[in-house]
Amino acid sequence: MEAIRRAQAGDAAAFEFLYQMHGRRVYALCLRMVGNPADAEDLMQEAFLQLFRKIGTFRGESAFSTWLHRMTVNVVLMRLRKKSLPTDSLEETLEPDAENSGPKRDVGAPDLRLSGAVDRVNLERSIGKLPPGYKTVFVLHDVQGYEHNEIASIMGCSVGNSKSQLHKARTRLRELLQEEIREQARQERQAARSQSDAGD
Amino acid sequence: MQCKELEIVLEQEGLAPLPASAREHLAGCTACQGFLADLSSIVAAAKTLPDEAHPPERIWISLRARLETEGVIREAAEVAGATLPSMGWRSLAAWFRPRALATASAGLVLVVTAVFLSRQPDLQPSPISPSIAQNNPGSTVSAPSVAPSPVVSSDSHTVVSDPTGDLNRTEGDLANFHLAVTSPVNTSLRQDLQTVNEFIAECELHLKQYPHDDVAREYLNSAYQQKAELLAAMMDSGRSEN
Repeated sequence: MEAIRRAQAGDAAAFEFLYQMHGRRVYALCLRMVGNPADAEDLMQEAFLQLFRKIGTFRGESAFSTWLHRMTVNVVLMRLRKKSLPTDSLEETLEPDAENSGPKRDVGAPDLRLSGAVDRVNLERSIGKLPPGYKTVFVLHDVQGYEHNEIASIMGCSVGNSKSQLHKARTRLRELLQEEIREQARQERQAARSQSDAGD
Repeated sequence: MQCKELEIVLEQEGLAPLPASAREHLAGCTACQGFLADLSSIVAAAKTLPDEAHPPERIWISLRARLETEGVIREAAEVAGATLPSMGWRSLAAWFRPRALATASAGLVLVVTAVFLSRQPDLQPSPISPSIAQNNPGSTVSAPSVAPSPVVSSDSHTVVSDPTGDLNRTEGDLANFHLAVTSPVNTSLRQDLQTVNEFIAECELHLKQYPHDDVAREYLNSAYQQKAELLAAMMDSGRSEN
């Protein structure tokens, strides 16, 4: 709080302190959300710029990090909206509809167990493929450890919405990871076949 | 309980602990067992992902410059009694920052001037002014070399040319002058030079340990330019005094 008070008075050292305290988490969030460092840097700078411009209005009703993350998420989602992703629209992924807009689970299909097969690389790649709304909630909850009430505050949605988004994100990730594993297995088979063809 | 209902429970309550009815269903449903195991694997793997990433230093440099321009940061001076943690060598850098911007601009002008002069055969210098030469027979001093200030190669991580050689030579030559060391101006210049030299040494040491630290490299560049300016000022002062 002391650093915030000093920053509100325009103290340069306090701004730097706040930046150093929170910058790494904000950068990690931006990086995961957009997938490339150049955009992440840009977004991080924009988020901090907005935050510091408005720091005089911070009254401490919410945690400073929640406030900062809310601003970051807004900046990121705004940017992604402008880029208008070709696949899922943000509205779809942010608003859970009653008719199972989320990923479906085909209980009858042969199940590909992920246990032991979820490594960091596969997971990072699959997170990168999630729609922005799912991705935000998943990263905030399962990677950064925020609670649903905090995420609801960050994203401006209800706690129930946050829970629903998280479940759909996890379920979608499961599908993406299964696709990854299938694809890797296919490539291994192909490589083995080429090797045996070369041997003949 | 049906599979669909279990999924609603997982959505609302999370993965654990599950209510008795859900556990009962799980015990007899291999599909739901697999589903829950997969989600648990994902959550466990996600917890191992780093929740922090180190942003490049240039973000803060750029951000700070904008905040200063907009007047959000009102002063660089530290507030008395600050309890903020020390930033190590950067605390010294903080002293340097306000000057660095001005120095960079001045340095650029000096670089352009130096390049321009070096291409003018008639102006090519280096014998020192007659008045100084009279007092320092046999010594020849060229103007401080500021041209090599860009020490960063195209990949921005390798030091390709170091102007310290030229600057140190000039500094050594200056020491041979009979400068009016008792003059307050020269005393102040010498103190500034000593501070800049210490800062340069600190930056160089830091860069040996962390060669990819771009902000340290920028500080070092600015320090070289500042040193060149100080030496130029000392030369002028020496000429006028002598």
